[in-house]
Amino acid sequence: MTTNSTAAATPAGTPVRLWDLPVRLVHWSFVIGIGLLWWSAENHRMDLHFKVGLVMLGLVVFRLLWGLVGSSTARFASFVKGPAAIRAYLAGQKAGTAAHVVGHNPLGALSVIALIGVLVLQIGLGLFAQDTDAVNSGPLNFLVSYDLAVEISEIHEAVFNVILGLAGLHIAAILYYRFIRHDNLVSPMLTGRRVFTEAVTTPRIASLWLALVCAVLAAALAVWVSWGLPPFATPFPWDRPAAAAAMPDASSYM
Amino acid sequence: MSKPIKLALAALLLPAAALAGAAAAASGPSPIYKLRHDNFEAMGRAMKGTFDQFKKSSPSIPAIQANANALAAAAIKVKGHFPKGTGPQAGVKTEALPAIWERPADFAAAADRLVSATKGLQAAVATGDLAKIQPAAGAVGGSCKNCHDTFRKAKA
Repeated sequence: MTTNSTAAATPAGTPVRLWDLPVRLVHWSFVIGIGLLWWSAENHRMDLHFKVGLVMLGLVVFRLLWGLVGSSTARFASFVKGPAAIRAYLAGQKAGTAAHVVGHNPLGALSVIALIGVLVLQIGLGLFAQDTDAVNSGPLNFLVSYDLAVEISEIHEAVFNVILGLAGLHIAAILYYRFIRHDNLVSPMLTGRRVFTEAVTTPRIASLWLALVCAVLAAALAVWVSWGLPPFATPFPWDRPAAAAAMPDASSYM
Repeated sequence: MSKPIKLALAALLLPAAALAGAAAAASGPSPIYKLRHDNFEAMGRAMKGTFDQFKKSSPSIPAIQANANALAAAAIKVKGHFPKGTGPQAGVKTEALPAIWERPADFAAAADRLVSATKGLQAAVATGDLAKIQPAAGAVGGSCKNCHDTFRKAKA
């Protein structure tokens, strides 16, 4: 067993805390959220679609913040690598000389970036999208023209297929690891822990208080966006005239 | 020309003639389906234009007025856009339900309600008072829903 001065090591055979609680909660919330967003869009439950979309906005903002200040295995800076590192990793895998990667490996990092990136894109598009009646619309739809919103809505619909493709690739990779490499990736994403066959550097797990601060910031940002970015283009809800405040949303008329 | 060559020529030219005919038909007056679709789209556009203003910090009355006028102009056309034989049984892609032709009096009443609601909105806009304009726009929305509930295919 080797140790160094900056990071503790966990001996072989001892469970390592790999994924912290926020990472796991966000991961499985994405799974449920994507399912609900698909279902509510297909069934024209736009009220539910907007609520879940707002939660997803908060979650993805949280995940971006957590990628900057969270646990070592959650940080983008610790797992996002360049093409050279990816090639080196693949060569090591092929030769069977590679050390165990604690966290996302350089190739898997691309999948993480693609999945989070496409969620950011999809949520961003959804904020401006509208349905055929042009009144059942995202919270920032009022900032764009009818024609632009039609384009955005079409892209919003198409990007869902990209999400399906990436999620399919993600699941295929997990099945490959499970059945070809005999490596269960699902269980650590549930329990947060996994056992390595050699001593590894112990990930540094960030405080849940820090997670709470990030969650509050992310939730505040999501609520602010859902209000239409007051006070720039629209007043804060409590500053709206009584007639506007009493008025049902346009979508309830369609 | 021998008979087989004539036949071959005809086989080549007939589809071309059919295509030319179709192109001529397409460039003629818009079929009623397109007219009424575009009319409803114009209303959707004007509804968005109206409700967008309500969200803004300082709603523009002239902008609401332009949209109210567009709504009123489109509303009066609705009743005439559904002649007999232009429903789903005609084999075209339409969200119009057969109920439009089965219950013509109810459909006419729903269309009239839209017309009077859009006139009500124009009247409210003329006062320049948002407290009057917003409920009037709500009444237009209510008349859209009133008709959609019965006469438009549920969104699939």
